[in-house]
Amino acid sequence: MWTDLTLRRTQGGEFLPSKYMDINLDHIAKLAKLRLTDSEKETLGRQLPSIVDYIAKLQEVDTSGIDPKAYLTDATNVFRSDVPSTAQAERDAAVAAFPKSAGDALEVPGIFN
Amino acid sequence: MSELLTVKAIRDAVAEGTVTAEEIVKNSLARIDAEDAEIGAFLEVFHTRALEKAREIDAMKVRGDVLPRLAGVPVAIKDNMLLMGEKASAGSKILQDYTSAYSATVVARLEEAGAIIVGRTNMDEFAMGSSTETSAFQKTRNPWDTSRVPGGSSGGSCAAVAAGFVAAALGSDTGGSIRQPAALCGIVGLKPTYGRVSRYGIVALASSLDQVGPFAHTVEDAMLVMEVIEGRDEHDATSVELDSKPVAELLEPSMKGLRVGVPKEYFIDGMDPEVRARVEEAIEVFRANGAEIIDISLPLSPYALPTYYIIQPAEASSNLARFDGMRYGTRAPGALEDSYLTARSEGFGLEVKRRIMLGSFILSAGYYDAFYKKSLAVRNALRKEFDEAFKQVDVIISPTTPGTAWKLGEKFDDPIAMYLADVFTTPANIAGLPGISIPCGFANDLPVGLQLQAKPFDEMTMYKAAAAYQTLTDWHTKVPQA
Repeated sequence: MWTDLTLRRTQGGEFLPSKYMDINLDHIAKLAKLRLTDSEKETLGRQLPSIVDYIAKLQEVDTSGIDPKAYLTDATNVFRSDVPSTAQAERDAAVAAFPKSAGDALEVPGIFN
Repeated sequence: MSELLTVKAIRDAVAEGTVTAEEIVKNSLARIDAEDAEIGAFLEVFHTRALEKAREIDAMKVRGDVLPRLAGVPVAIKDNMLLMGEKASAGSKILQDYTSAYSATVVARLEEAGAIIVGRTNMDEFAMGSSTETSAFQKTRNPWDTSRVPGGSSGGSCAAVAAGFVAAALGSDTGGSIRQPAALCGIVGLKPTYGRVSRYGIVALASSLDQVGPFAHTVEDAMLVMEVIEGRDEHDATSVELDSKPVAELLEPSMKGLRVGVPKEYFIDGMDPEVRARVEEAIEVFRANGAEIIDISLPLSPYALPTYYIIQPAEASSNLARFDGMRYGTRAPGALEDSYLTARSEGFGLEVKRRIMLGSFILSAGYYDAFYKKSLAVRNALRKEFDEAFKQVDVIISPTTPGTAWKLGEKFDDPIAMYLADVFTTPANIAGLPGISIPCGFANDLPVGLQLQAKPFDEMTMYKAAAAYQTLTDWHTKVPQA
């Protein structure tokens, strides 16, 4: 795990954090809902660790006392009044843009067999 | 710039009646039809629609109506922007059959202002890339040297302006995707302050970073487009009500008394010495014309790129979860889970898969705090560092990119080398600042870009300084030989 890294780092050698991580392609692909080919697995298996080593450089930055912020604008909650309004998309255009429809309804596969 | 048709020149000529919108648009379409086979800027040209819209403008003129601000000006939009009734594929196979059911706010505002949308332009798939090579459909070539990339991800929009097909175009900039190609193609590219321009109807890459902005030949032209697209939109809660909008006609270009910060971290070992020389010459133009040049240090700026490659894939992997063949594009056969997997695995290209995998890893249990949460803290620290710097200076000047346009294929198999092309542009996205790239000369016959960054929502200071540079130099009037 990441938190052990400072210890391991002092044991000498090049700082390659990805070596100490479990970058399990099958598990990540499952999370990402992707089915990877063997060739993609080979490529990503090579590239992801080097990208991870690169982004791990952030550990060098002292962020003690600094809040993590997802957005930097001053905006907090942005509300609008709760009144019905017409969507910009016309109904027919919205239905047409959907991959499958049955008459006026949007069609999706069943969740249960 | 007689050869260069600017937004302003076209707008004024159409308003005065010395040329019709139809003539202008026909000329633009003829150039594209004749020359775009070599450049590959456009994925689709809206011939019929564009001519109809142009004739509407001409009819208004005949009736004696007051023409809107951009009447008759041909513009191009990036393929991740919706135009009702037209396709928008974000450069991806998964959306190749998607037709927009409504228009993006920026696109609707352009059309309301009388601009003629002549087509949608090539881009890196879902804007993931720095060379436009990850497009599922075609390569785009740099008009200055067609063996080289135009930069990316908005490479098609950028090449369309650089080649003279259109006077202006819209791009989107998440980590440099407007400014970086603008630098590589020798034109103006503007990334507005986060919140200045609505993102409604834009296919999202990373929602906390994305901003739409213009490509043009002059700062004034970029402003003319910004006047139309910027401002609060009720459909994008992060868009901001602006107290005032800079008006191109009222701009007074000036460098006098301007405090220009030059951060040493943006002049790195390994950058092209010719690029460095052009930027240093540009800084001398500022000094010679009354600006005060102040050496500053932004020690966190080098961390902007690794921060970006955490936040952006994390947000992208979440945003792209919606592309599963259920709501958009092509439905894959099979039971639900199988259908998802097939649609995504066959619909996305390798760069998109790489970033979705990276984002999913970063956000997974055990790594979320170490990567994602840490990146948000560095992001805030980076912004604070800029806030401090802007107490001392009005604008920050640097190269836009460390080098010039590279050969097609050169960095394609080395993601980190490709990502480094954006090392100087990502800080503005991470910190939410406005940034502009303007042409400042050539290195080995290839264009070099000068980047100006300013305080959030202080576009005006940036425009004044950049426009002043363009009144003193003529780099922006140089066009590639056809």
